[in-house]
Amino acid sequence: MARGMTSPASPVWQRPWARWAGWLLLVVVLAVVPLVMTEFANETLARIGVYAVAVLGLNVVMGYAGQVSLGQIFFLGLGAYITAYGVQEEWNIVLVFVLACLIPAVVGLLVALAAARLGGLAIAMVTIALPIVGVPLAKRLSDFTGGSQGMSARFADAPEGSGLFDDQWVLYVVLIIGGIVFLLTRNLVRGKYGRAFAIVKGNENVASSMGISPYRYKVLAFTIASLIGGVSGFLYMAVIQYTSPETMSFGHSIQLVAAMVIGGAASIVGSLLGGAYYVLVPQLTNLVDPSLTALLQGALLLVVLFVLPGGLVSLPRALTRGRRRSRAGRGPVAPPTTPSTTTGSGTAAEEPETERQGHA
Amino acid sequence: MGKFVQLVVDGLSTGSVYGALALAIVLVNQATGLINFAQGGMAVLAAYVTWWLTNHSVPLILAILISIALSFVFGAVVERWLMRRFERGDPDTAVVVTIGLLTLITGFCGWLWTYNNQQFPSLFPLRTVSFLGVSISIRSIGTTVVIVVAMILLQALFVRTKLGLALRAVAINPQSAAFSGLPVGRLLMVGWGLAAALGAVAAALVAPQLTLTPGMLDNALVYALAAVILGGLTSPVGVVVAAWIIGILENLAAVYVSFIGFDLKVAVPFILIFVVLIVRPQGLFGRKSVVRV
Repeated sequence: MARGMTSPASPVWQRPWARWAGWLLLVVVLAVVPLVMTEFANETLARIGVYAVAVLGLNVVMGYAGQVSLGQIFFLGLGAYITAYGVQEEWNIVLVFVLACLIPAVVGLLVALAAARLGGLAIAMVTIALPIVGVPLAKRLSDFTGGSQGMSARFADAPEGSGLFDDQWVLYVVLIIGGIVFLLTRNLVRGKYGRAFAIVKGNENVASSMGISPYRYKVLAFTIASLIGGVSGFLYMAVIQYTSPETMSFGHSIQLVAAMVIGGAASIVGSLLGGAYYVLVPQLTNLVDPSLTALLQGALLLVVLFVLPGGLVSLPRALTRGRRRSRAGRGPVAPPTTPSTTTGSGTAAEEPETERQGHA
Repeated sequence: MGKFVQLVVDGLSTGSVYGALALAIVLVNQATGLINFAQGGMAVLAAYVTWWLTNHSVPLILAILISIALSFVFGAVVERWLMRRFERGDPDTAVVVTIGLLTLITGFCGWLWTYNNQQFPSLFPLRTVSFLGVSISIRSIGTTVVIVVAMILLQALFVRTKLGLALRAVAINPQSAAFSGLPVGRLLMVGWGLAAALGAVAAALVAPQLTLTPGMLDNALVYALAAVILGGLTSPVGVVVAAWIIGILENLAAVYVSFIGFDLKVAVPFILIFVVLIVRPQGLFGRKSVVRV
């Protein structure tokens, strides 16, 4: 992870106080935004937050640990159903939240214990079964799930006396819970576990020769991904207030994978962009022609993989690299390598935060 | 008893369809080391072409043959112009490419021919024959026979012909194959083409039963992948046997296990996988792969 250098030569935005000021500004902006925007914008932002969390979970297992999972939407659906059931039974909302995190995590753990025994792509082949089995299962367990009609639950109304509208309150809930999940995940993937995931992704044999059990870390990554999926399911119920078997359909699962790749694999900001893609692009393509939506999404995914394999998050880096190359082509003096690489990685580490502000 | 035999025969026929798709997946995997999640989507496209041709008064059997030929070309084109670029890179990216291709093809079929169910003409009469007091549908027998014949032809191609020898050489070691003068790129195209053609056969056989929709083979793809896991990626025979076992077991479970029923029978192969994985991680017939660092 390229952190900003504190040497005097480094630009002002890489100094620690500037970083903290940036974070503070971000928090202030996020705190004010729900108050000043229209109801529609607030709801759209909240939905982006929900799917950004779901994409983040997928990113842990797929982007960081390199295990293709086609079943992430199942855990979102599971979390949503648990939340809806708990709210209907009038359980304490904190208990509901904890259950919506824990039960998907346990299910994910059980699936991973079996699936991670298979090498390589077989995890993808097993996880594809989750949404495909999940939909009829949700229809069958109609005592808990309401069958094909699904179930609705309202629990995130603005409390009396807060003076907030419902949409503002819901957005705050999403921002706070989502923000905490993003922060925790960022710390996770930048620390010891993130490095272990990276080496498991890079080369399993090297990992095991270094004493890092690929099996254990694959299971861990999948379990964390399921847990985050459960959180996104809770948020999904807070925002959309309705779930049905269709929530976890195979098509949605594939769209989630597409959103992660298009946003940027193994990137925290990429997850945010992926969530935005998941919500906004279908709205746009629906405006063009609803029957074209799937076609356009498939084409877009392939184009991104061809042109920008790192996803949207690598766009600024690709642009600066292109610009630098053209500049180097013109001038006879090549820029000194060492400073240019530090600034290069500096912008790469810093760019996300400006992006994040732009998108929040 | 009559019902049991009927279920087994029907299971054998659906199992054959899964087997054909699974064999196509293994074919691609042997050649390029990828799992093609678009295999079912490509087959659906072939079925739509057949359907479109029959609507323009082309005889069914000719329409199927044309769509098989077109599928071969399409598979080769996809390999050359889409997958080639990702074959040497990260296999995860390549998998996502095939998922993108699946979305693209499904979207294309839905856009061009709508998402409504279309009636697909059956190659076989819908009658049943009585045999030793058991009535068996001709369609089930016909489907099984056609796919078994297709597999025998494929096996003959691989074992008896020079082309098959070259294909196997490329599958085992592309670099050595290239050094001995084999046109590796073109052979990979042939491998993908053969897989797509096999998928087209399977789709034409199963389409009358499922009725034609863009997502027709999504479930079949899942079964095929289950068969691939159970049989082991390295064993074509094992994959087909596993597909038959899955086809028969899910039919029996749907009728005799009341909790599973027809809606949850898709879970059967995965329960099977869980059991098998605990006991034999390399699949029923697969070899343990040994990696040299």
